[in-house]
Amino acid sequence: MQAWSLEFLPLLIVLSSLLPGLLIFTLKEQQVALRTSLNLLGVVLKLVLVYVMWQGVKAGDNYEFRLAFLPGADLILHADALSLLFVVLSSVLWLATTIYAIGYLENSPLRSRFFGYFSLCVSATVGLALAGNLVSFLLFYELLTLATFPLVVHRGTPQSLAAGRRYLAYTLSGGLLLMLGVSLLHLLAGSPDFTPGGYVLPLLATEGALLKVAFALLIAGLGVKAALFPLHGWLPQAMVAPAPVSALLHAVAVVKAGAFGIVRVVYDVFGVEVVSSLDLAWPLLFLAAFTILFGSWCALAQQDIKKRLAYSTISQVSYITLGVALLGPLAAVGALVHLVHQGVMKITLFFCAGNYAETLGIHKIRELNGVGRRMPLTSVAFTLGALGMIGIPPAAGFISKWYLGLGAAEVAQPWLILVFVLSGLLNACYFLPVVYRIWFGVQYSAWPAPQRFSQRLETHWMLLVPPVFTMLLILLMGLFASTELSPLSWSELIVEREFSFDD
Amino acid sequence: MWPAVLLVTLPLAAALLMLLWPRRARVLHFAVAVGLLPLAVSFLLQVTVSGEQQWFLGNWGPLLAIRWQADGLTTLLLLVSVTLHLLVSAYVGSIQRRNPLPAAFWPLSNLLLASLQALWLSRDLFNLYVCLELLGMVAVALVTLSGDKALRPALDYLLYSLFASLCYLLGVALIYAGYGVLDIPMLAGQLEANWLNAVALTLMTLGLMLKAACWPLHLWLPAAHASAPAPVSALLSALVVKGPLFILYLLWTTLAPAAFLPAAAYLLASAALGAMLFGGIAAIRTPYSKSLVAYSTVAQLGYATLALAFILRFNLPEFVAAMWLFVLSHALAKAACFLAIGELQHTLGARQVEQLKGASQTMPLAMFAFAVAGGSLIGLPPSGGFLAKWALLLGLWQSQQFFWLLALVVATLLSAAYVFRVVVLAFDRAAPTAPDFSPQRLPQYLALLPALLVWVMAVFSLPLLTLLKQEL
Repeated sequence: MQAWSLEFLPLLIVLSSLLPGLLIFTLKEQQVALRTSLNLLGVVLKLVLVYVMWQGVKAGDNYEFRLAFLPGADLILHADALSLLFVVLSSVLWLATTIYAIGYLENSPLRSRFFGYFSLCVSATVGLALAGNLVSFLLFYELLTLATFPLVVHRGTPQSLAAGRRYLAYTLSGGLLLMLGVSLLHLLAGSPDFTPGGYVLPLLATEGALLKVAFALLIAGLGVKAALFPLHGWLPQAMVAPAPVSALLHAVAVVKAGAFGIVRVVYDVFGVEVVSSLDLAWPLLFLAAFTILFGSWCALAQQDIKKRLAYSTISQVSYITLGVALLGPLAAVGALVHLVHQGVMKITLFFCAGNYAETLGIHKIRELNGVGRRMPLTSVAFTLGALGMIGIPPAAGFISKWYLGLGAAEVAQPWLILVFVLSGLLNACYFLPVVYRIWFGVQYSAWPAPQRFSQRLETHWMLLVPPVFTMLLILLMGLFASTELSPLSWSELIVEREFSFDD
Repeated sequence: MWPAVLLVTLPLAAALLMLLWPRRARVLHFAVAVGLLPLAVSFLLQVTVSGEQQWFLGNWGPLLAIRWQADGLTTLLLLVSVTLHLLVSAYVGSIQRRNPLPAAFWPLSNLLLASLQALWLSRDLFNLYVCLELLGMVAVALVTLSGDKALRPALDYLLYSLFASLCYLLGVALIYAGYGVLDIPMLAGQLEANWLNAVALTLMTLGLMLKAACWPLHLWLPAAHASAPAPVSALLSALVVKGPLFILYLLWTTLAPAAFLPAAAYLLASAALGAMLFGGIAAIRTPYSKSLVAYSTVAQLGYATLALAFILRFNLPEFVAAMWLFVLSHALAKAACFLAIGELQHTLGARQVEQLKGASQTMPLAMFAFAVAGGSLIGLPPSGGFLAKWALLLGLWQSQQFFWLLALVVATLLSAAYVFRVVVLAFDRAAPTAPDFSPQRLPQYLALLPALLVWVMAVFSLPLLTLLKQEL
């Protein structure tokens, strides 16, 4: 690798969606072809660049871009194995979501604004993944809030504005807590690059109390986006956003930013040793376990498809937090691989929910009766996603839950296996009836608002391809989990690098 | 020294010439405004390279002459004033066809600039009084430019301003009676902690806090700033209120005896708390968009006052940096806010906040300018406001002021609430516009420019801190 590419590749990866996004803002509403090509150009370029970087990181190259920002804290974009996991996830899912959104928003107003912010949102997510220290992370974390807010309120209806206000109230407060935590830690330890094993160990003896405060502030700030109980209130309401937005928010951008941040803080800022010697993992563990059950419990009561999926997200994202809080290597593998698997599964489910709503006008679960015959491909995708969420093999969800269970056993917390079983049961309770209705329910009334998008296909091809693509990913990730290409082996690589420091 | 003298005398001379040849006023104005910019830049570079400069006007001895002094902070303030002066003039020029301001704007704004520049440079108590008085008079005159409806607020402003100047002058007289010197560096460390000096400093502080609209002495500001024409409000909020704040800083960091500092810090911190909370709440509640921005000025000045209070208590470099970064970033952001709101108000005919519904679709540029500037007011990264807040946070953590950290969090959330109050409305579906609806673009770009500048500030944090001579 040449030196310049080592320095500028991370920047280019962020710019590959940022620049098209900024250009799209200036376009007129009617310039559909130009907008679409800009979008796709950005996506393809990003995927190519990410592929190059992936090969480089595997070979041990060190990608790093630095810019002077605050005194003692540069703006750093750095590619390590962990950031690459998130970058690949968001770039691949961005591809699917962009195609989906182009189809979904065909002929609706204000598309230039939508796609502009959509690209900004992905740039912020990728920047967040590549952020090399806490200050850079904070920067992209806030930018992500600003870029997603216009997407949440995109429809401009009173409900979406109310949801937007609530979203801002939660996320800006979260950002502020994070900023407090970051500044405290900056004062105590400076803002060095993320280091496997953390960098606050020398302070353990003298500044234990303040370290605890900093940890609490950071986790509270990140917990808002990760929808950790009791900071989850914004998420179900944000469902009023258009389907591609919900898909992106739930699968990659916002909730994952929070979860990813927690991973970073525990492994690369504090380090497992400090977290366990300060007894910081316990509260996080209980909170995550409670959120898992609480989210599933609330999901049971929802009659709206998207609302049920939203509460399911609250529950599923906490698996990641739980895996991190267990502090063992096997649980870490489970957490990281779940970050990917949950993203792909949840995005599939949201694509399908969007398809039902767009094609047939179905929003409620009871309206799904017999939809399997009318929209077979979408329904297969939905079913697979749902089975994956429950954790039934061979779908990808099984793999991550298996590792999380192993991790719990490894650190001798067998009660957590009970939590997993209970939550799996609840998952089955709120997903299986839906699947049953889709395939075996008897349609009792006409579809609420049927549309004919295509002569041969069940819906518009741009709405159909993305869920089928992500469905295949779910299957492949489950079936070929042991191969070198799978997220599982990449997570193992990350954990190996993260945990090898103390050997 | 020549660039400094020119920075003051050029606008002064221009103002006089404009009174003689009113028909040439605009040409002259722009010639001077553009010419001042390279002058200010070169002066800044000169001071950066060769360090602090000072000289005595008229070559008299130090006791008689007026001392002018230019350090990094002064040159930065000079540069920002010149930049905003040029920008606001360009804005006024660009809307000249649509809603022309009275011709008196041109000489008045030059006088404003001249008195402000002299204020940044002067280190003499009486000379500062002269600058302050002139600044106040010109500001009042500028407010009246928007016609009859502004007379009442302008009169209030005038009365408050005169009272404040008198208080300040009385304080200066007391000090002169005691020491026979008006030169600040010569007085530094001389003042004993007796009751006469206490009275003098109290009077001066009271006057300056009134002029700087420190809570609870801010009552004149919202009405005056909201009723003035938008470009004038931009100048007033961005620059004029910062003048007295600068004198306050000089007074308390160089003159005041150490025994008085805790009391002053307490007073300033309480005022700051009131400003941040009540200013923010008022901005959230007011129905008018311009008073929203004006109340936000009251709230934002609270941050700077808070930083000043902590300079007096702890003398950490973080607080000094925070104070001046707040002042500089607020100047740019607030200018952008007022110009953007002015555009929105004029084009959409919207005096009330509610009428800005859907503005992100009808006037995306102006709305974007407001939102970007608002981001800096909230302190979102990477903006100048963030830089300032970061410095303040570091200082507060270092001195372990947990109560004030909490206050800062609440204040920040309040500022987010009033900024996003407007932004969320802008994302509402717009009412259909008339077919001949065509907002002017140039003034909107001029509103956007300072908003972008304040975000660029974040990238130059290191040079800025070097100029302020503070290391974090």
